[in-house]
Amino acid sequence: MLAGRSMLRPISALLIACGAWSLSMLAGPAGNDASQESKASASNRADGLAAWQQVYSVLTHPRCINCHTATSYPQQGNDRHRHFANVVRGPAGKGVPALQCATCHQEANADSTGVPGAHDWHLAPLSMKWQDRNDKILSSAEVCRAVTDRAKNNNLDGAGLLKHHTQEPLVLWAFQPSRQIDGSLRTLPPLTHDEFVSATRKWVEAGMPCPQNP
Amino acid sequence: METYKLTVNGQPREVTVDPGTPLLWVLREELKMTGTKYGCGIAACGACTVHLGGVATRSCVVPVSLVRGRPVVTIEAMAEDPVGRVVQDAWVSKDIVQCGYCQSGQIMSAVALLKATRKPTDANIEESMGGNLCRCATYVRIREAIKVASQQLK
Repeated sequence: MLAGRSMLRPISALLIACGAWSLSMLAGPAGNDASQESKASASNRADGLAAWQQVYSVLTHPRCINCHTATSYPQQGNDRHRHFANVVRGPAGKGVPALQCATCHQEANADSTGVPGAHDWHLAPLSMKWQDRNDKILSSAEVCRAVTDRAKNNNLDGAGLLKHHTQEPLVLWAFQPSRQIDGSLRTLPPLTHDEFVSATRKWVEAGMPCPQNP
Repeated sequence: METYKLTVNGQPREVTVDPGTPLLWVLREELKMTGTKYGCGIAACGACTVHLGGVATRSCVVPVSLVRGRPVVTIEAMAEDPVGRVVQDAWVSKDIVQCGYCQSGQIMSAVALLKATRKPTDANIEESMGGNLCRCATYVRIREAIKVASQQLK
């Protein structure tokens, strides 16, 4: 009996070991998958956030943000000063009856006079302001939240945002802003348009992640 | 040099000029219509205002190549325009003009305002006329004349 009991111990130990191995076989791969998925998700989010930072660098360039103000007027120039000639936003972001955006801005750049132009020149709505009322540029997280809020962004989903960045005439203008009145070229955003669209696509495909506060 | 067909005050006109030539200089130099004035040349004063496709426009910064078929209306046509006639009469009744250099642009902007807003408030007037400068500082009388014209218009 003693011998029998002593024989059982190794067998029991073997069974326990096998059971543990079996359990690990059942639980192990799934646990690894979850871990890998978690890592992949984190990597995807990190890539998306990196792409967003590229997008943000363009959105906050003067060629873009000068018309995404929080005030009753647009801005101009790399120093983002108030638009000259007492230009005001107006009820639809297109100025007022005798002083509209179209009073000067035509369908295309006017190289001979230095006035920029593109189809339907206008200010972005106040819901798409990327500055505060003191003209301070909002943080990456704040702009990201506004851009992804369909109550603020004209109900655009990811595909809609990508299309906007790809095709909107005023977005395209920012990458071909032509000459100023002194003949010098306006500075360009930090990315080419192709790079900007590519970064937007990566960000959208990553689920449009936004940075944490602030 | 290129040839452009324009409609100015309802009349077909044709000019052969450099595409970058501002509409102002086409009017003044090519068509000899000197009612529209050159003030600053950078759209900062409003003296060159005309109506382009119905929009008050600074003709000094619009190259003729970007007119693209839109009708041009100048101060010379205001006497025949229902709103323009009323505005000009109001200008006379309030004796607005001092040196007068900016006034064709002022009237073109006032007409554009009244065509869009028949009963403008002081704020409407200040915003719409804010891009038209007057070194004689006739602003108060201009505002009064716009109100007089507004009362005359239905």
